[in-house]
Amino acid sequence: MCRVLAYLGRPLPVRTLLFDPDNSLVRQSYSPRMMNTFLNLAGFGMQAWDPESLRPEDPFTYRVTTLPSFDRNLRSLSSKLAPTCLIAHVRGVTYSDEAVVADTNLHPFRFAGARVVLAHNGHLRQFPSMRYSLVEHVRPELVRHIEGTTDSEWIYALILSLLDDPYGLPEKRELADATANALRILRKVRATHGIDTSSPVNLCVGTGRAIVATRFSFDYGWYPPEDEMLETDLPFVSLWYTIGGAFAESEGDWQMTASDPPRSAIIASEPLTADTSAWFEVPEYSMLTAELTPDGLEFETLDLDV
Amino acid sequence: MSDEETVAFLAAAPLLAGLDRGYLAELARAMRERTVQEGELLWRQGDTAREMVFVVEGGVSVSQHLPGDRAVQMAEAGPGDTLGEIALLDGGENTMSARVTETARLLALGRADFTALVARQHPSAFTLRRRLVALTTARLRDRLLRLSDSLVGDASGRPAEDVARPVADLEYCGAPDSKYVRRMATFHEFDPLALWGFLTAGRYALCPAGRRLVAEGAPSAACYLTINGAVEKVLVRGDRRIRVALAGPGRAFGYENLIDGDGSPFTAISRERALLLVLPREQFERLFHGEDAGSRVFLDVIQRDLATSLRQTLRPHAHLAASV
Repeated sequence: MCRVLAYLGRPLPVRTLLFDPDNSLVRQSYSPRMMNTFLNLAGFGMQAWDPESLRPEDPFTYRVTTLPSFDRNLRSLSSKLAPTCLIAHVRGVTYSDEAVVADTNLHPFRFAGARVVLAHNGHLRQFPSMRYSLVEHVRPELVRHIEGTTDSEWIYALILSLLDDPYGLPEKRELADATANALRILRKVRATHGIDTSSPVNLCVGTGRAIVATRFSFDYGWYPPEDEMLETDLPFVSLWYTIGGAFAESEGDWQMTASDPPRSAIIASEPLTADTSAWFEVPEYSMLTAELTPDGLEFETLDLDV
Repeated sequence: MSDEETVAFLAAAPLLAGLDRGYLAELARAMRERTVQEGELLWRQGDTAREMVFVVEGGVSVSQHLPGDRAVQMAEAGPGDTLGEIALLDGGENTMSARVTETARLLALGRADFTALVARQHPSAFTLRRRLVALTTARLRDRLLRLSDSLVGDASGRPAEDVARPVADLEYCGAPDSKYVRRMATFHEFDPLALWGFLTAGRYALCPAGRRLVAEGAPSAACYLTINGAVEKVLVRGDRRIRVALAGPGRAFGYENLIDGDGSPFTAISRERALLLVLPREQFERLFHGEDAGSRVFLDVIQRDLATSLRQTLRPHAHLAASV
């Protein structure tokens, strides 16, 4: 089912998100605390924006199908890289010979030249039957970039298609509108095909300057008979965030320091710490938006009525 | 304290008053007495719940930690009060930290003993379950009141149209696939016969999205259990609709008024189309006050739902949810 993580704020060593806390993203790949039945063993990916790097507008990309917990290269890189924005993902798939574990299916997705990336925690049930109805909603020059077999890559292409310029740098509001409109199109296409079963769509969409995240599901609470994913999908797929000054260790505990205005935010499928008291649960059917400003960080929670 | 003194203390505690002396004697034998000095932490928010305590002497403060290293005091407990029972009900983590503010003598009941005592078929065990449900309902109402009071500026009252549809208007239908129901986490622990007794106690109804099923402040026509879909529990203030909980598969709503007679603490509106098990007042009373296997399933479902609702209303963000 996947786990997703987004960070926006002051430069922060990647290892403090991927490895150091007691429920770090890498730990969630083999020991998620808030997900039943499935592990996230089908690959790892991240896109990280470092303002001190060459061409800072282009994110650093790292995506591998191997297990991140055994990846010494990743551990080493994570100690050296301190981005102001990061989107990372550990992929989970059903234990089935129909699942395709491949480089082309790894999140976060980013088409060549695009400034927007996307990672997805969830799945669109019966996606094969609706896939080709999405073609009419995706710009032709983007369709040819789709290389993998996932629903997530199509959602990415759909959001890009709804931007004024798919290769531009959208501000928070345009990115939020494109994401909400993509969900509206998906709802219509699902209705056309008579698809009415639970399909969680927790998205993290980012540009390096702004992040939009959703906690959302189509037809939550309805499942096909004999459903393999039932136990995983019965609870609404989780999403949490913490916001403040800086994510730092104090007396053995990792938490966000207080700051007004806020300067950093972490959004994640699960809190990165076993102690959840410093985290907010994102309300179901809602969208978070965050954007770096000269004064710090603008952050909003919006109802997602699509 | 001698065993007799312990039984006498327990018999006077509001949670246990009137229960069978033999049952209380068993409870007393499972209790561990200890003294905790002022300033010591009984447990920390987020710790796995290991015990509930009765305060014999002294005082305990209960507080909730918030992001940014802040804390807010939520309650104070003194002689006769109980602490920690809610986290034991759903097997989760402690929702708040408890610190001794005045050196305290406590009687502690461990998780395993607590679970064994409330799971028995003894009439006193059923009474204890009902008391716990009533206690948790009162705490839920208190939290919702705090939440409602914190909605500054636009708390201009509930809209006049906040009226629920009567149960007779629902579209009744057949029972769901039993294989699906058995896979729901809510029902994992029950034997098929007991579950059958509960699931056949009411009628099933399909409900479109957006239907108001329970109105805040009004009596509830029935207790509902969501089988498919989702129902929002909301506080409506002026133009704002603040979601305090989401009742997805296996979650219940509409029962608080049937338990204590006060108005419903929130409005319930179907967010998705929903398949509901509807238990009108008469069936609710029979299950709630019964002492058979079906009642045991029902009380367990309600206990867990209350515990989950309490956790959800504690979400620091609850007052901002879904309102922009």
